[in-house]
Amino acid sequence: MTRRTVEIPLARGAEMGMDARPAMGPLAPVDVAEPDIGSEQMLINIGPQHPATHGVLRLICELDGETVVSVTPHIGYLHSSFEKLGEYRTYNQIVPLTDRMDYLAPLIYNCAYAMAVEKLMGIEVTERCKVVRIICLELDRIFSHLLWLGTTAIDVGAFTPFLYAFQERERIYQLHEELTGARITTSATRIGGMMSDLPPGWAEGVRGFIDTFPRTLNEIDSLLTTNAIHQGRTIDIGAIGPEDAVDCGLTGPNLRASGVDYDVRKDRPYYDYETYDFEVPVGENGDCYDRYLVRMEEMRQSVAILHQALDRLPDGPINVEDPRISLPSKTDCMSDMESMIHHFKLIMDGINAPAEDCYFAVEGSKGELGMYLVGDGGPKPVRWRIRPPSFVNLSAIAKLAEGHLVADLIMINASLDIVLGEIDR
Amino acid sequence: MTRPHRRGKQASATVDALRAAFPGAVVRDLVQSGDQHVVYIDPEHNTEVLDWLRTDPGERFNLLVDVTAVDYGDGRPLEVVYQLWSIPHRKALRVKCELPLSRLAIASVTALWSAADWLEREVYDLFGIEFRGHPDLRRILMPENYAEGHPLRKDFPLRGRFSRAEQTRRALSQDMEQYYMPEEMEGRGAPQIVPAEESPTSTPGSTGR
Amino acid sequence: MGLSEKPAERLPVASAPGGVFGAGTPTLLTTRLDFVVNWARRNSLWPMPFGTACCAIEMMAAAASNFDLARFGMERMSFSPRQADVLICAGRVPYKLAPVLRRIWDQMPQPKWAVSMGACASSGGVFDVYSMVQGIDTIIPVDVYVPGCPPRPEGLIYGLMMIQEKIRQERLSEHGTLRAEDPAEVARARADADEVLALSGPFGNSTRQNRVSGPTGSDASDRPDDRIP
Ligand code: SF4
Repeated sequence: MTRRTVEIPLARGAEMGMDARPAMGPLAPVDVAEPDIGSEQMLINIGPQHPATHGVLRLICELDGETVVSVTPHIGYLHSSFEKLGEYRTYNQIVPLTDRMDYLAPLIYNCAYAMAVEKLMGIEVTERCKVVRIICLELDRIFSHLLWLGTTAIDVGAFTPFLYAFQERERIYQLHEELTGARITTSATRIGGMMSDLPPGWAEGVRGFIDTFPRTLNEIDSLLTTNAIHQGRTIDIGAIGPEDAVDCGLTGPNLRASGVDYDVRKDRPYYDYETYDFEVPVGENGDCYDRYLVRMEEMRQSVAILHQALDRLPDGPINVEDPRISLPSKTDCMSDMESMIHHFKLIMDGINAPAEDCYFAVEGSKGELGMYLVGDGGPKPVRWRIRPPSFVNLSAIAKLAEGHLVADLIMINASLDIVLGEIDR
Repeated sequence: MTRPHRRGKQASATVDALRAAFPGAVVRDLVQSGDQHVVYIDPEHNTEVLDWLRTDPGERFNLLVDVTAVDYGDGRPLEVVYQLWSIPHRKALRVKCELPLSRLAIASVTALWSAADWLEREVYDLFGIEFRGHPDLRRILMPENYAEGHPLRKDFPLRGRFSRAEQTRRALSQDMEQYYMPEEMEGRGAPQIVPAEESPTSTPGSTGR
Repeated sequence: MGLSEKPAERLPVASAPGGVFGAGTPTLLTTRLDFVVNWARRNSLWPMPFGTACCAIEMMAAAASNFDLARFGMERMSFSPRQADVLICAGRVPYKLAPVLRRIWDQMPQPKWAVSMGACASSGGVFDVYSMVQGIDTIIPVDVYVPGCPPRPEGLIYGLMMIQEKIRQERLSEHGTLRAEDPAEVARARADADEVLALSGPFGNSTRQNRVSGPTGSDASDRPDDRIP
C-alpha cells in the first residue's frame, strides 16, 4: 500500500451550469490508501450484445486507467449477405431487402435503390412520383434522427427525450402504416414509381405531423441544447477536423459537423432538390455537440422541405406509363388481354437492365448512401453494392475515441449514428 | 417514360487530363448510365494515378466514396472499383482496375485515404483480393475461422459450401473470447488467401440439403 | 397381485417418493404451491432483449409508452443474462453471432424461457444464405415463436402472454425433468446434425421459387445453379 494525496476538485462551475471554472483544491487534501496496482494496460470488451453499442457492435478497448488508448471495432455480427442475395433476385424483388438493411430509415433505402435502378435503366419517373419520394426521404430523415436523438440522450443519462422522441416516431410509424401497410419494413417503391398512389388523406396526415412536430422538437431542444450535463458530455468530445474527416470518408451530418459543406442534395441534386429552399447546417468543431446541433437543425430543414413538397404535390399518374416497367391496374388485368400478358411478363420475367453499371447516391440520414448496380442485360443485377454510410463513418471511431474516457467512447459511438444492419449488410 | 441513354462519348476534362498525365496507365474509358465517366487503369499503377487524381489542383478527388469489386463470373477478370468525388470541384469519377483470376492482388490505397482501410478489408473478405501494403488485412464481416472461401465470388453458392449442420458446428466452435489488437499483426506474415480452386468444396450436401 | 409387487399403490404413505399418490402426481399442497410460485413467476418476468436487427426496433416500440410491456410485469429489461428470465431473440442471427446467443442462453439461470421474435430468428426468413442461422431453434431451445417480419408489438406481447400461460401450467413436481440442464450440453447446438439439415432443408425459400433462372436470352453471365433441379 502506498499513500497518495488527492486534491478534490470542487463541483462548482461548468458542471453546475455556472460560468465559473471549477475550483481545484488544496482546500481539502485527503490522504488515501492506494493499493499497489500494476501499471499495465487493461483490455475490456464491449459487446457484441451490449445496450450501449446500438446493435451488435463489438469494441475491444485498450485502457490506461479510464483513458482509451486504442479501440478495435469488430463488426460482422449481423452480416446477412444482402449483396449476394440481390444477385439472385430480380430488380423489383430486391426492394424488400433494402428496408431491412436500414430499419431506422426504411423509406430512404427504398427510394435510393429504386432511383439507382431507374438511373441504370434510363427511366424518368413522373413528377408526382418525384415529389412523393421527396416526402418519403425527408420524413424518414426525421424518423431516423429521432431514434438517434432518443437513444443518444439515454447514453448521456437523459431519459425523457427518449420518450418524447418515440412518441413522435409512433406518429411516423402510423404514416408508414397508412402508406404501405407496414410499420418498419415498408418496401414502398417499385421500379418506375411507387407501390401504390398515396392513400386518401395521407398528405394531410403528413401535414398534421409537421405542423405539430416542431413543438416537440423545441421541447427536446430546450431539454438538451443548453443542458450543462449534456454540454459537458459532448463539447470537445470526439472532435475531428475537416481534412481528417474527408480523409476518413465521413459523410452526412458527421462530415458537416466538421465544417465541410458537402450534401448530396446540394452538390449532386436529384429530383429538383435545387428548387427547394432549404439550408444545409454546417458545424465548426466536429465534436459530438456539433453533430448533435447539425442533426437537430436538419430535422427543422426537413420540415421546411416537407412543407414545400406538400404544397407542390402535383396530380397525375404516380407510375411511369410503360407496360414493360409498371404493373397494369388490376381492373385492366382482368378485362384486357394485353394487360394480362404484360402483368404476367413483368412478374415472371422482370425488367431487363442494360449491360452497364451505375452509381447513384442520395443523402441518407447517415451520410451519402450510394447504390452501385452492375447490369448484364438480364433481369437480375450482376452486382448490387451498397455504399454504406455508417460503415465508413464507424471506421473512424478508433481515431475519434483515442485519448478519451470510456464513457466518452459510448458518447462518440452514439454520436456517429450507426445502424448495424447496414454496416454488416 | 423511358429515355434512351445517350451512348455517344461525352468528353470529360478529367479523363483527357488523365490520359495526358499517364499515357501508359489508362487502358480505356467509358460513359455509363448516361453521364457517368469510368476509367480503366492499369492495376500496376493504381496508386500513382489515384494519388494524382487526389492531389492535382484541377481534379482534387479528395473523397474516396467507395472501394468495391465486381465478379462477372465465367473466369472473367475481377474488377476493383473506386468511386471518387471531388468536393471542391463537385465532380465524380469511377476508376476501375481489372485483375485476372490468377493474380488477385493490387496495391492498397490506405496511404492516400484512410477511408480505404475497412473498405479494402471488406473486398478482401468477400472477394479474396489481396491489397498489398494494407496495414491490417484480415476478414471483417465473416468470422475469423471462416473456411468456405470468399462469398461474393460467382463460384460461391448462395448457401455456402458446407452443409448447414457443418456450418452450425463450426459457428459454435468459434472462440468468442478471442480478440485482436493491431500490434499482434506483426510477425504473422502475409495474410492467407484461399484461391478458388483450393477452397474446400468437397463437403457433401453443400447447398444445405 | 401380491402386496410385495406394488407396495406404493396399496400403501399410500406420505414418505413415498414423489408424494402421496406416487411420483409426479399432484397433491393439495403442491398444487397450491404451484399456483403461488407460478403466479409470482409469470408476473415478474424479466426479459433479456437479444435484439439484433429490425425486429429489435419493434421490441423497443413494445417497451415504449404506447404499448408498455410494464403492464405485464416486464418493465425491467434485463440487459444482463444473469438476472433474466425470458430471452427475446429479436432479429437476424448470423453464424458469427450464434456462439454469443448460445453463451447468453447458457448464462441465464433456470427457470428460463425463450421467445423467437420474427421470421429471421424463427427460420432464417428471407435470408436463406451462407451467413445466417436457419432458425435459432438449432442453437437454443425455443418456447414461443412470434411470426411476422417484423411482428407488431401486439404480436410480441401476445407471445409473451403465451409464455405466461405456459408458466401457469407448469408443475413444480415436474421440475426435475422439465428444467434439467445437463452441463455437458452447455455451449452445444440444441439440434444435432440431422435435425439441422431437416430444419433448413426441404422447404427452401423464395430463392428457389423464381422462374427467372435459366439463361435469359441475353449475354447474362452464368450463375452457379443453386436451386433444386
Ligand atoms: S424478421 Fe423481418 S423485421 Fe425481423 S429481423 Fe428479420 S427481416 Fe428484420
